[in-house]
Amino acid sequence: MNDLSPLTPEEKPSTAALVLSAAVHLLLVGALFLGVQWKSQAPSSVAVEVWRSAPAPVAVAKPEPVPEPPPKPEPKPEPKPVPKVEPTPPVKPDIAIKDEKKKKEEPKKPEPKKEESKKPEPKKEEPKKEEPKKPEPKREVSDFQKQLEQELKDAQRQKAAAQEARDQHARADAELRQLGQMRAEQAALGRSRALADYTAKIAQKIRGYIVLPNNIQGNPEAIFDVTQLPSGEVLSVKIRKSSGNRALDEAIERAILKSSPLPKPDDPKLFERELKIPYRPKDE
Amino acid sequence: MNVSQDLSILHLILNASAVVQAVMLMLASVSFMSWYYIFRKWFTVREAKTQTEQFERDFWSGGDLNSLYQSAVNNRHGTGSMERIFEAGFREFAKLRSQKNLDPKDVVDGSRRAMRATYQREVDSIDSHLAFLASVGSVSPYVGLFGTVWGIMHSFRGLSNVGQATLSAVAPGIAEALVATAIGLFAAIPAVLAYNRFSHDIDRLATRFESFMEEFSNILQRQMR
Repeated sequence: MNDLSPLTPEEKPSTAALVLSAAVHLLLVGALFLGVQWKSQAPSSVAVEVWRSAPAPVAVAKPEPVPEPPPKPEPKPEPKPVPKVEPTPPVKPDIAIKDEKKKKEEPKKPEPKKEESKKPEPKKEEPKKEEPKKPEPKREVSDFQKQLEQELKDAQRQKAAAQEARDQHARADAELRQLGQMRAEQAALGRSRALADYTAKIAQKIRGYIVLPNNIQGNPEAIFDVTQLPSGEVLSVKIRKSSGNRALDEAIERAILKSSPLPKPDDPKLFERELKIPYRPKDE
Repeated sequence: MNVSQDLSILHLILNASAVVQAVMLMLASVSFMSWYYIFRKWFTVREAKTQTEQFERDFWSGGDLNSLYQSAVNNRHGTGSMERIFEAGFREFAKLRSQKNLDPKDVVDGSRRAMRATYQREVDSIDSHLAFLASVGSVSPYVGLFGTVWGIMHSFRGLSNVGQATLSAVAPGIAEALVATAIGLFAAIPAVLAYNRFSHDIDRLATRFESFMEEFSNILQRQMR
């Protein structure tokens, strides 16, 4: 109760404010850490096959219809389907046929032996009785042979049937597996197909700009890491694996730089900043 | 991959040059201080607002001025700014009224002066540390920018030693340097926002105090007759 009105009480230093301030900074630091770490884990690269991928020649066939494409598409479909479709089925029949041949060959060997072994028997009997015993041994031999042949044939049939059954099982299993794989793939097919389109587009564009040097020996592969902007502009091209031919490396690098901006994917989610582009000068 | 892994925030801060690190440390402490004052001011202003509303309700509910004064004097530490203004004015009024040879106008003027003095003290108290927020808001971006410029200078000097200039040679240095700007902005943006918000709130409180003073003077003048 002083007469003078007291000095207005200074604000007390507030511990709550201190704690809250610390909390705000901790929050910020946490957000920064998480944010930056997410980015550092993210980069995954899309591999673009420049020369080897199938879609590229199909797409290229349109711009260059007259000179090259007719020969190119023809050999490709022919060799690929022929070995792919035929080799697998024929392999099994071959094996089966060989087995059958072996089985046929095997029975042939015992046959003469048996005949020989059966001939001496009748020979021993021959001196005793000439007339009646001749047909008998023949009949016995023929019966025996027939039985043997039948048994052998039965065995062959059974084996063949068993093998066919096995083959069928194997085929069915393979088909089932393929179906399962197909279904699993189809789940990812939408994405992978879009991705394939995307990589094919990139491959086609880069391919269009490549001027190959003359002194290429063999079919060396070069791998490039390409960083692109979201607009598709090429930011940097780095050689991950050299082809061993410097002129070729430089030609590819020039082609990649020239093809900036790279085509964009239809689905923006597929966009990757980092692309891995393998290249082979000659198609296989 | 390697480059981006190296760009974690801890790496950026630890690898920065000494000047940039000093700038970052300074900005971090300034940011901490400014947030401390932001919360303190926030509590203060909120408390002042509720106390003022409480007192205005009590005052205009038509209670006896003497009993209001008594309760204000008895509960000195729990009173709000407006109550203290009222208390100072009423005490001065009571003292002057007991002196019989004074003009009523002088009595009211005296009590008004007492109220004004208390008012200024109160507003000054609420206003305190707002200047700190204001200077943090205006200066820390520049400090951060200084750190960034210094860091970029540093990284370009490093670039001159490298034969082939690549982006990856400069990028880490620039990223380090930019962290300083980021911290500066983090300190500045809330400080500016809080400064504007609080100065607006305090202005409104001051207006309320002033209008209360005028109205109370009128009441006192009526009491003189």
